[in-house]
Amino acid sequence: MTLLGENLILSEDWKTRTGRGVSVAVIDSGVDIMHPDLSGKLRESVEAVTEGNKVSFVAADGTDAAGHGTACAGIIARIAPDADLYSIKVLGANAAGAGMPFLAGLEYAIKRRFKVVNLSLGTTKPQYVAPLRDLLDRAYTAGCIVVAAANNLPQPSFPSVFSSSLISVVKGEMQNPFEFSFRYGDVIELVAPGINVHTAWTGGGYRQLTGNSFACPQIVGIIALLLEDNPNLTPFQVKSALYAIAQQNLAVA
Amino acid sequence: MDSTNLDEKFRSVIETVDVANALTAPLTRSIENLLRLAAAEVNSDEGSVIVRDGAGNDLRFLVAVGEVAAKLREVRIPQGKGIAGFVFSSGQPMAVADVGQDANFYAEIDQQTGYSTQTVLATPLRFDGEIIGVLEFVNRIGEPPYAPFTPDEMDKAALFAEAISSLVDAHESAALLESLCAKIAENCEKTDLRKWLATVRTAPSHRELLEIALLVRELSQTGDAERKVCREVLESFVRYAELKTKPESFLSF
Repeated sequence: MTLLGENLILSEDWKTRTGRGVSVAVIDSGVDIMHPDLSGKLRESVEAVTEGNKVSFVAADGTDAAGHGTACAGIIARIAPDADLYSIKVLGANAAGAGMPFLAGLEYAIKRRFKVVNLSLGTTKPQYVAPLRDLLDRAYTAGCIVVAAANNLPQPSFPSVFSSSLISVVKGEMQNPFEFSFRYGDVIELVAPGINVHTAWTGGGYRQLTGNSFACPQIVGIIALLLEDNPNLTPFQVKSALYAIAQQNLAVA
Repeated sequence: MDSTNLDEKFRSVIETVDVANALTAPLTRSIENLLRLAAAEVNSDEGSVIVRDGAGNDLRFLVAVGEVAAKLREVRIPQGKGIAGFVFSSGQPMAVADVGQDANFYAEIDQQTGYSTQTVLATPLRFDGEIIGVLEFVNRIGEPPYAPFTPDEMDKAALFAEAISSLVDAHESAALLESLCAKIAENCEKTDLRKWLATVRTAPSHRELLEIALLVRELSQTGDAERKVCREVLESFVRYAELKTKPESFLSF
């Protein structure tokens, strides 16, 4: 047993968990449910439909025109093969003007009380800062753990630069998802594998991908493992656990 | 001034300007020069600047350098399709290796150009928080198999994207001016200018806007204090209108 905090005890064999019973939402371009790596793992697929300044979610056909959402889901499924995946498609033909569907997708995930949310997306539009902060605070108090990919561009990307209410991830050189680390003195908190990641791609194929987008789902998968034994962990406790594990990883390295 | 004089005056102004490409051509050349420099920095010789095609979210190649540059300028990418489509709608930079293993993804563009895409680096072009295009590099200098693009090259591409974005934005403004000049020239040639101006003036929305503009002009000519009050009142109205149209929820249920 590893003591990570006053009430947080992590079993030594937590890495052997599979994410069973943990709901994980992927807010992205959809997920190809026919991909062999993802077959039977998707509990639900919905997509955003925009009318005026309102967005609703309807059942999706389980396809992914871009491949990005499938890639993220593939990474999560490899680490946490028994997690319950939910695809929330906010990018694609019906989601023109990505800002509104993106925010609505996050709101949908919070309302549905999905335990972990993979957000390998971001926006630089300042008008979305306030509503995103509000949504992230709602997620935090609802116990919904939002993990966002950082951006390597010069302009800040939201919500990844918010420090308190989510977990922000940047790509690192390591290959093993369990060897993630952390950065101090920066809004980006965790460093996970994101360079030449081999993962699922739409159409049943695979790709070797580089980007913070693919570091984010590695941490989502890790969180699903942590939550299997401790389903009631709050975002604060999960962050503390990730910090403690990253510190141990750095000590070993 | 009678209408004949007005027509003649317009025609002489328009004739002194080489309307076609007078404004955009120097910017296109600058983007191309910067693109060549960027391509060399990321060890690729196939680069392109991809922008929105008209009012929709389909994409087109504004500038391209490399073997199939001329063919690419004829290609259109439907909304959300391909790596460029995803990067445009998500704002997330990404590098994809081994595209050639599964021809599904790039088949349409490769079929049109006769090129074989194997490795891609795509970075969003942002201006004022808006995504206005994608900077994309394909394959490496030399012979295949091509090594994947590295994180260091992703960072370099992000810096070039920052500079190219400003030029692309200027290009879009210049193109608008060009089309306006062309419109005036076309109408001058048909000696139909008055009719065209009349349609602009009599359209209800244009007329209302013109009336407001005239009111503001009159008020602001009365003095500094009046101009200041006028601006403050209008800004208050804009804030009020923004609040009024802001939805309480992004979801429709």
